[in-house]
Amino acid sequence: MSQTKVLLVDDEVEFTLALAERLQLRKYDVRTAGSALEALALIHDRPPDVIILDLKIPGMDGIETLKTIKTLDPSIEVIMLTGHGDAESVEEGIKNGAFEYIMKPVDIGELITKIEKAMVKRESDRRREPGV
Amino acid sequence: MNPEYRDEENLRLLHLRFIGKIIAGFTHEVKNYLAIIKESAGLMEDLIKLGRTSASDSGQNLEIIHLIEEQIEKANVLFRYLNRFAHRMDDQLATFNINESLEELTALVTRFANQKRITIEKDFHESMPLISSNPSLLQFVVYSALEEKIRNLDKNSKIAIQTGVDENRVRIRLVSEGNLIEGEGDATSIPYEVLEKIIKQLGGNISEKNGRETLMMLPLTNS
Repeated sequence: MSQTKVLLVDDEVEFTLALAERLQLRKYDVRTAGSALEALALIHDRPPDVIILDLKIPGMDGIETLKTIKTLDPSIEVIMLTGHGDAESVEEGIKNGAFEYIMKPVDIGELITKIEKAMVKRESDRRREPGV
Repeated sequence: MNPEYRDEENLRLLHLRFIGKIIAGFTHEVKNYLAIIKESAGLMEDLIKLGRTSASDSGQNLEIIHLIEEQIEKANVLFRYLNRFAHRMDDQLATFNINESLEELTALVTRFANQKRITIEKDFHESMPLISSNPSLLQFVVYSALEEKIRNLDKNSKIAIQTGVDENRVRIRLVSEGNLIEGEGDATSIPYEVLEKIIKQLGGNISEKNGRETLMMLPLTNS
């Protein structure tokens, strides 16, 4: 079975590097982006299965980035990363197709559970596609 | 209701909102430091569990420990600024250094500017005289003017904060560099008349040029 491809999008480089390494140790294929533009370029280059997206990234509003990702490839599951319990943004994110959200500081066990659930949903959506 | 009382009450509400925004920005920033500390400590734990603790791994392990120490120090500096910011409200009239007060304000608002990739550049006069004024109200005015500039600037721009001395007055100048945009309407923006009124109360004056430059002149003593 191929590795789950995860894209981490957050402008806090130290945070993304440490989290990326922790996920890699758990056999995920992880890439990181520090801005929305960088993330979109990486998606274009090799679409991930799951994106962990900080809602407060510089360059483009998090919700706008989410909408763009979903337009580019609706099958990518997005887990929003938020510093606070920003209920309004979370609700808007879910309305715009985000799968879930997780709060900073991140609990690695909780994050992995959410990534795996996102993969189950992705797989079940894929099976429902005509011709699959 | 007495209109003067209403004005005072409005000002108090706007001031409270400003304090709320500063605290929100501060907690957001501290949460980021905590997130890095937590992931770094978690990574150390993972590496130890995997048995990666030999001499050849010590370079990476030390790097992680230094990163944790660095984040704790950054949080510590921010806590110090927030503490000083909170104490600015102790007295309505205090003697203080404008550069120090702007330094802490800048540290607490940088996050908002970074969201739009706007850099805040400080150009402070080296030997600023102390002034006697209301430090918290002055920070409120500077913050509001800064916030307005951030709102009206396009991404990848710059705001310069300059201080200086002109005879018996001190000068605070905020200058925007970059493309001006039609700022999104924000219910929390402070009307310019309010800022004008506060600066007048502090014995100074404020002027605006081309939507790019805000100049505040304040007396050394607000008597």
